[in-house]
Amino acid sequence: MAATSVPSEEIRAATFQRLYPKTYLERFLQENVRPDGRDFLEFRDCSINVGSISTADGSSLVRLGDTTVVCGVKAEIAEPDLDAPEDGFLVPNLDLPPLCSPKYKPGPPSDDAQVISSRLNEALILSGMLPTKSLCIQPGKFVWVLYVDATCINYNGNVFDATLLAMVAALKNARLPKAVYHEETNHVTCSRKLREPLSLSGTPLASTFGVFDSSHLLADPTAFEEPLLETTVTIITDNGGRLLSTSQLGQYLPPEMDVLSECITNAKSRTTEIMKHILAI
Amino acid sequence: MSTNFDRRRINGPEDSFSPVLVDDDEDETKWRPGKPRQSRQPQDIRPIFLQPGLISQANGSAYIETERTKIACAVYGPRQSKNVGYIERGRLNVQVKFAPFSCHKRRAPIRDAEDRSIAVLIHQSLVSSVRLELFPKSTIDVFLTIIENDGIDSCVATGTVAASTALADAGIEMLGLVTSCAATLMGEEIWLDPNHDEATAGASTLVLACMPALNVVTSVWQNGTISPKQGLECMKACQERCETIHSIVAQSLVSNFTPE
Repeated sequence: MAATSVPSEEIRAATFQRLYPKTYLERFLQENVRPDGRDFLEFRDCSINVGSISTADGSSLVRLGDTTVVCGVKAEIAEPDLDAPEDGFLVPNLDLPPLCSPKYKPGPPSDDAQVISSRLNEALILSGMLPTKSLCIQPGKFVWVLYVDATCINYNGNVFDATLLAMVAALKNARLPKAVYHEETNHVTCSRKLREPLSLSGTPLASTFGVFDSSHLLADPTAFEEPLLETTVTIITDNGGRLLSTSQLGQYLPPEMDVLSECITNAKSRTTEIMKHILAI
Repeated sequence: MSTNFDRRRINGPEDSFSPVLVDDDEDETKWRPGKPRQSRQPQDIRPIFLQPGLISQANGSAYIETERTKIACAVYGPRQSKNVGYIERGRLNVQVKFAPFSCHKRRAPIRDAEDRSIAVLIHQSLVSSVRLELFPKSTIDVFLTIIENDGIDSCVATGTVAASTALADAGIEMLGLVTSCAATLMGEEIWLDPNHDEATAGASTLVLACMPALNVVTSVWQNGTISPKQGLECMKACQERCETIHSIVAQSLVSNFTPE
């Protein structure tokens, strides 16, 4: 009897978590701790690894706790749009394959992947991180297209923050071959050896928070916490701590809490911390 | 109108092409067909890094890296088969996906034939090892994502090893661990575990999957021209190497195992 009661305790906790997720989380929060042992406003540890994929022009692997995202930049050449002859293209996409979580099925991009991809696109555009004019090879003829593809390998919540960080790191790691336009033959050749980094300015970084039960503000929610949150707030700041974007998804913010300013303050200190990782790569 | 416009993704321009690379000043250090093998002997395989259990959301998982081949694998299940009637035996479902940045040319995220054929080969290597008769009405999903690709043969072989490790990590009953090794015929020599350049230069490639613990072969896939005698030699060489890989897999599973 004693031998069976030890594992059954653990199994009972897991069953309780599965059947009554909300009560399970509430009980932890009553004790001022989260199920994974973090404080309410504590983010998970993050690690960035760049340049390990030789088939990409720039690559990164970001881990935010268990959440893992790989990102690769592939550079191709295309004709610019007629109304913007000097503008290159930046095409960010996130894939959430069935590999990363049981909630995703094989097939076309899920709703989550579509929403997050378009939010990433917005974040990269409005930060002005990469001026599209700098991707011009020959005005009106050839420009660079940067496909920034991210794949989630392990989904344990807050994929948006992890992916934006992975994309930023991959772009910083990217080296484009030096391109030469030949007027007489009207084509572009690239050097195999000479490679140059992109001309980047600004670093958009995201910090996501969730409101649980109109009373608790939780930073960097996990996959277990995410579906239980009423509201999520994402703050995007640049490396100087300036606010780039604030978005709130979900129900109204509880008026008795000063959620937004608390999020912004915490996002700024988080950004300073992440910048140390980025500068180290 | 462009055919590859997809409103579910962020789209780039209608048409784009890979940069044309020139002025290659005959890089002397690069391997070329006809030269002896670089940095390892013909019968050597590349070092294997294998880590089970990296994907916390999955029932079982494995990440494998052999120099430039990098594959992540997750196993979900056994879970209920959807949209089918009663089936007595479980179903093993293998899906392979290339990351868009995994190859030299960007792989646009559309279904193509290559990932299917790799999935079929991996499925074939694995299916006879899994005790599917124990899982009626269930499906075991094996998902592989190729993060970096260095030759299709290498993908099939390393993918099989990763998938079998992930199945073991998920605690799914098997008759034995499946390991796999590729070989290419370079002139008269047999080179084991070829990378992309070597596999394309060779006259024939062969991928063998086996269960070393039971001393049985589960799948052989051969391409190109080879004499039956050389084919058998290739299989023998691969099988010997599979035993080495078997101990690597077993070691990684043991060191990852935590008794409950």
